[in-house]
Amino acid sequence: MSVNDTRELLWLAGGLYGLAFAIGLLKTFKINWTPFRESPLAAISLGFILHTRALYLRGLDVHGCPLGNTLERIQFILWSLILAFLILRLLWRLDLLGSFCAGLSFCAGWLSLVFPQLDSNYWLSENYEKLFSNPWIELHASIAIFSYGLFSLLTIVCAMYLVQRKALLSRKFNKLSSFLPPIQELEVAAMRLLTVGVLFLTISIIVGGMHWTRHPELVSQAKLSVTLILWIGYLMVFILYKTGKLYGSKFSKTSITLYLVTIGSLALVNTRTKESNTTPPPVITIPEYSTDE
Amino acid sequence: MSESLDQSLFLLGCSHQVADLSAREKISLPSSSIDEFYNGLGKIQGIEEYLLLNTCNRTEIYAASKSNLSRNLIIQYLSKFRNLDPAFLSRYSYQRSNHEVVSHLFEVASGIDSQMVGETEILGQVKKAYSDACKRNISGKMLNRLFQKGFQAAKWARTHTGISRGQVNLGNVLCELARRIFGKVANCRLLVLGAGEVAENTMEAFKSRGSQAITVTGRTFDWCPLSRNKPSELAEKFGGFALSFNQYKDSLHLFDVILTSTTSGQSMIGVEDIKRAMKKRPAKPLFLIDASVPRNIEEDVASIDNVFLYNMDDISEIANENLKSRMSEVERCRGALAQRAQKLWDQMTQQKEIS
Repeated sequence: MSVNDTRELLWLAGGLYGLAFAIGLLKTFKINWTPFRESPLAAISLGFILHTRALYLRGLDVHGCPLGNTLERIQFILWSLILAFLILRLLWRLDLLGSFCAGLSFCAGWLSLVFPQLDSNYWLSENYEKLFSNPWIELHASIAIFSYGLFSLLTIVCAMYLVQRKALLSRKFNKLSSFLPPIQELEVAAMRLLTVGVLFLTISIIVGGMHWTRHPELVSQAKLSVTLILWIGYLMVFILYKTGKLYGSKFSKTSITLYLVTIGSLALVNTRTKESNTTPPPVITIPEYSTDE
Repeated sequence: MSESLDQSLFLLGCSHQVADLSAREKISLPSSSIDEFYNGLGKIQGIEEYLLLNTCNRTEIYAASKSNLSRNLIIQYLSKFRNLDPAFLSRYSYQRSNHEVVSHLFEVASGIDSQMVGETEILGQVKKAYSDACKRNISGKMLNRLFQKGFQAAKWARTHTGISRGQVNLGNVLCELARRIFGKVANCRLLVLGAGEVAENTMEAFKSRGSQAITVTGRTFDWCPLSRNKPSELAEKFGGFALSFNQYKDSLHLFDVILTSTTSGQSMIGVEDIKRAMKKRPAKPLFLIDASVPRNIEEDVASIDNVFLYNMDDISEIANENLKSRMSEVERCRGALAQRAQKLWDQMTQQKEIS
């Protein structure tokens, strides 16, 4: 095990998230050994430190924000998800949310590592140029991915809302629903996450748009359309919630659907990239990375 | 030695397990006569430490002695004090000695011997009885150890078994549901339409959790400060507000929890009323409880998003499920407590032999 190997660090971070998830589940089902008390948070925190180091090392390799292949994009989204959770955790003690986040990060993180083809060494190719030659594009991409992390967390909170709602409507309270927060608090949390997520996505769109107006030829029509559709989608959900037209279960279901579309659009972008045999672009409106400026 | 050990701890008691309410009433001691009872109890020959646990469901005398202690003297004393036939007392009471006393106290303090299995009030009552005995200097080395270990055992049982899991009182079940929906019950605004046992139970449960916004309305309520009709009385009793009956439909959006408990036999809250209310509080859930038979809230309101409608059958079912869940834990808890009791008894007798 080397602390200077990106992939090994990512495996380890994923393992720690998995450990946090497993302990969180045991705690949920009332297996309360004293060492378990704070260990999920400790495992998530340690995993996050290793995750950060892994992305930092990869960033050094690619000379920029590591968003050049599918593994990097997935890992960056998961990193943002855990970061958002840790920030929320400071304000709000929600161990079960941590378990959900850790579980998702463990599954998605290890799955992305299992398939080596998702992690092409594009920076080792002879004609490789710096991933983001323009720092504004790098900022745009990283903010966009961070907003995706927030939307991941939003999706988890919405799923928790639906589980709690189902328990209340069916009058069947299992152990899982007993540990979920109150439905009103979940809705408030979802709204706050949506607000912050939309804010970050909007900033990302503005920053990316400034570059696009100068180099429209560098952004494909498909990517531009998908990005704008997602942004408008989240913005519409935000406005409809604020005007009292979309709330409760419909709000949660719409948010989850929108997130699934977002994830689906990532795959669409990847496929297209593969076919064109060019360096894979990051998500949202990022143009081809090497701009000849 | 074995004779003296055999007489170390003794318990004479009466509870819902062996006596019906009328028998318990006869045996139970009025609070005004406790001092007198203790004075007489202390004069019984051979008794060194003693304690009385006297609650609405239970009257128990715990006694400890290093020498021979005649149980009959205690039984005779209680029957004489309460003017009871000794045969009646024998029929509606139970006796325990030594390690059985330890086991019994552990079960009582943890709530598994209570009428409402797993209730927590009994622990407070046992603590109060022990504190009273300490103040009177009638609890010594043996009873001190017994009761302190009893409190620890009760805490262990509540933490490590499911005997207190879920609420079984209707008012508490409603509070638990309100907590699942809104978080803090203290912040919930409750409107009660009508009166009745369920309404009072609910208001009491909300009040005990710090709810400051309890409002009552009813058909018989007249907006007049001198009226002493039931809803206004209830509002006064629980420190709430009274609302004129013809205003409640326009105020539904101001409340988080609405309970109907009337005998009107007609619909008092319809789908349109709730839709109108929800437009004014779209992102805030609304918890409706229909405790009336026939029902007062149209069933279709349950289809509105963010509205949670429960009727009495639903609430009773949850209470019964919780009770079943507690009952399934009782045997496990009893076994664990018996082990702890035996261990404590062994320690107590060993120490005695050494001393």
